[in-house]
Amino acid sequence: MELKVIENATCTFCGCVCDDIELHADDMRIHQAKKACILGKSWFLNHTAEKKYPDALIDGQPASLDDAIEVAANYLYDADMPLVYGMSNTTCEAQKECVAMADLLGALLDSHTSL
Amino acid sequence: MGGKVTCTLGEVKQRADFIVYWGGNPAECHPRHFTKYTLMQKSKFLPRGRKDRTVVLVDIRETKSAKAADHFLQVRPGKDFELLTIMRAMIKGQDVPEAQVAETGISIEVLRDLIEKMKKAKYGVMFFGMGLSMTRGKHMNAAALLTFAAEMNAFTKFVAMPMRGHGNVTGADVIMRWQTGYPFGISLNRGYPRYNPGEFSTVDVLVRGDTDCAFIIGADPGATMPKPAIDHLAKVPTIVLDPHVTHTSRLSRVHITTAPAGIAAPGTGYRMDEVPMPLKPALNSPYPSDEEVVRRIKEVIATKPDWMTNQPQMIESQV
Repeated sequence: MELKVIENATCTFCGCVCDDIELHADDMRIHQAKKACILGKSWFLNHTAEKKYPDALIDGQPASLDDAIEVAANYLYDADMPLVYGMSNTTCEAQKECVAMADLLGALLDSHTSL
Repeated sequence: MGGKVTCTLGEVKQRADFIVYWGGNPAECHPRHFTKYTLMQKSKFLPRGRKDRTVVLVDIRETKSAKAADHFLQVRPGKDFELLTIMRAMIKGQDVPEAQVAETGISIEVLRDLIEKMKKAKYGVMFFGMGLSMTRGKHMNAAALLTFAAEMNAFTKFVAMPMRGHGNVTGADVIMRWQTGYPFGISLNRGYPRYNPGEFSTVDVLVRGDTDCAFIIGADPGATMPKPAIDHLAKVPTIVLDPHVTHTSRLSRVHITTAPAGIAAPGTGYRMDEVPMPLKPALNSPYPSDEEVVRRIKEVIATKPDWMTNQPQMIESQV
């Protein structure tokens, strides 16, 4: 099968964020990550497009995304002092949404930096 | 860290002829840092590449990075702040008692030689890792190093840069600074942002049990935080967004699987020198992106009555 080649892909494993990686991928997984270091290779090769996990879990039981979003929103809204934390392995666009949500909630907002 | 004297990695690659790594192990944690930016690159200003650059490693033990360095300074654990303060005094020609120098584990001759070399450099850069900023003294150590780099500018060009770990943690700082004015440890519970690490930083909040609901995204505190903090996460409703079912997911009430950023979800990530990079996903994930899920949760919350205007005003009840 012909592999799709993505040139100058960006690796977000460590803070170097190397943007010169050549990825060879099919629909399911990345087969090669040229120029990536040992950490980057395992980062790219160990993520697949498989459906390994349920869309969502509520109290440990598989659930639909819509239900999970509703339940999550209720927990956050009902809390007196909610906390929004993490934001390392995600995009700036998602981080922006997190800040907006924390603002709406009057929440605590923190990242890995403080650890 | 306002007023930090810094630069981009491009400048380091082109110009830095004196490189200090303090409390970090780039050979194993940032494997391409040496080859892409600091050691091996040749440039107009450093035509002989590695031969034109001097590399110093300061750490508490001899890691793999020590082999790549010209000088290795083994500082006694917990003495980074003392060593930095002594060096700051020495560059200004102030006297330092030998007993205090000896306590850091490094001899005064080595320090004199190092300072002489630093002053002769054309463009110096200090990279500091978690070995400096997460050990005894914490952010005061980082502040001492940043001040040291700033003060070196009385003699020659010097800059400092943190060696950031996980992917887009730099982006989190940048986005929070842009939106709230502060980089982390923020509380919005008065309706405006307040900044106080130690009070609003997550480990402290969890260990004290101050929060009654936690939303965790792109992190796995269940695997990294101290036990009392994890216990509190298990006690309160915790919501996790992650591409995998993690340790934190197992103790959470709600887990939502999302597409891994940069592999199956597009967006922007910040490099450690605060240069934004577009992500180029190679796969199509069956899961939604973090951005989409957070936006949808936010939209559900936005349909509910605003919490602040519906609360009795705090001031009234206090008067």
